[in-house]
Amino acid sequence: MSQLRVATTTVFLLLMLFVQETIINRINFPWHSFSLFLAAILVLLAYEDRTGALVFGFLGGLVMDLSPGSATPFGQWALALTFIGYLFAVNRESIGDFTDRPIAFIAFISMSSALAMATFLFLGLFLGQANGGFLHNLGIIAANSVWTFFITPIFLPLLIRFRKFSLSSRDLL
Amino acid sequence: MAKGGSNRSRLLLVLLLVSSLFLITLDLRGVNIATGLRNTTQSVLSPVEGFFSKLFSPVGNFFGDIRNLGSTRNKINNLTAENEKLLADAAVNADVAGQLEQLKGVLDLAGRGNYKVVAARVINRGANTTFKQTITIDAGSTSGITPNMTVISDAGLVGVVKSVTSGSAVVLLMSDPTFKIGVRIAGTQAIGVVSGQGGDSYLLQLLDTTGEIKKGDVLIARGSEGNRPFVPGVPVGIVNTVQSNASSITQNADVDGITELQRIGVVAVVVSAPNEQPRDSLFPKPQPVITVLVTPTPTPSPTR
Repeated sequence: MSQLRVATTTVFLLLMLFVQETIINRINFPWHSFSLFLAAILVLLAYEDRTGALVFGFLGGLVMDLSPGSATPFGQWALALTFIGYLFAVNRESIGDFTDRPIAFIAFISMSSALAMATFLFLGLFLGQANGGFLHNLGIIAANSVWTFFITPIFLPLLIRFRKFSLSSRDLL
Repeated sequence: MAKGGSNRSRLLLVLLLVSSLFLITLDLRGVNIATGLRNTTQSVLSPVEGFFSKLFSPVGNFFGDIRNLGSTRNKINNLTAENEKLLADAAVNADVAGQLEQLKGVLDLAGRGNYKVVAARVINRGANTTFKQTITIDAGSTSGITPNMTVISDAGLVGVVKSVTSGSAVVLLMSDPTFKIGVRIAGTQAIGVVSGQGGDSYLLQLLDTTGEIKKGDVLIARGSEGNRPFVPGVPVGIVNTVQSNASSITQNADVDGITELQRIGVVAVVVSAPNEQPRDSLFPKPQPVITVLVTPTPTPSPTR
């Protein structure tokens, strides 16, 4: 993996965080809210190889930890998404079955976002955080999965285009 | 995958996990790397958030308003009447007028409690992905705001300032599960603790075993030592349901928040509180009941 790819992906993830914080968070969804950033990082992880899934999971988590409104320990999302990146890495062949079928792929990303949030929540419990009632948190996770399923297809072409760009950006130098 | 590649991946995984745990440990031990990074991000984002706040203000509640389509006819009629009024206001500038109304309410509440406040607009809401309830306001340290100051709305308590940059501040909302505030029931001496539940309702645990809770009781902040993080006298919530549990030592109740946190646009940060407690002066005033007395007049009998 080239350093240039790591740099361009980090810049792209920072841009996604910017969009999440300035636009998506402003929208009052009828049922909790939607994380475009989480969907974007999961799409990128699904297409990556073993090393890429681990590295971009960690980087994506670090960028997500920069969110100013979060009151959780810095590094918690990095740990959660590194774990998710590891799961993606060891199940590469199975995930490859989804990437060619758009609806199945979106459903997979939607489920993965729920798993990522649940992992984050479990890590919070181990770190002694109070995160509210079980049903309330279940609602947040379910709502994010539903919104991910319906909204991510709008952004999917952009995310795939960015990945192709990041793979070929070496030619620009 | 070749054995060498697999070993490299394992080493990378261990390295990344250790790095994450190292960062978490630093943060939990109070090393300010994370705070500095987050404040830098906030400083960069706050001017843009202000711009998008203005841009999204008229349409931000679009999805939420769609949800009310299934309401009862009576509610629809009321909303229709209200909508007509709002449309009339829109001709003037509904958004600015609404914010002005909230600001007037906040200043009125602050005036009654003799609080010195700094008014601010809500420019962003924290993402649900962290399971924390926060908002960002457009006033920061240059306006005299520091962490652990009470934030109020026109109705009552909103939350506490968590972190501050020069031009913005992050406020931990009272609905956050980690939020706890000491309260007393207005008009009595019964004291308790209200905790956020992550949603619209709150839990009141009465500390006084002899005290009584009734539906409709108004809860007022008791205040903290040195007025940080809570100034006394701010309305917190209204008791909705009293939980009856004979085996419990303390009485519990479900409480409705006095402030509708999803709709707030303008808040005020209490930068200093009066020396004298405002007692119940901020108690929400009950709506006046108009009583009409009718005395029947006897029907005059026909005279000849």
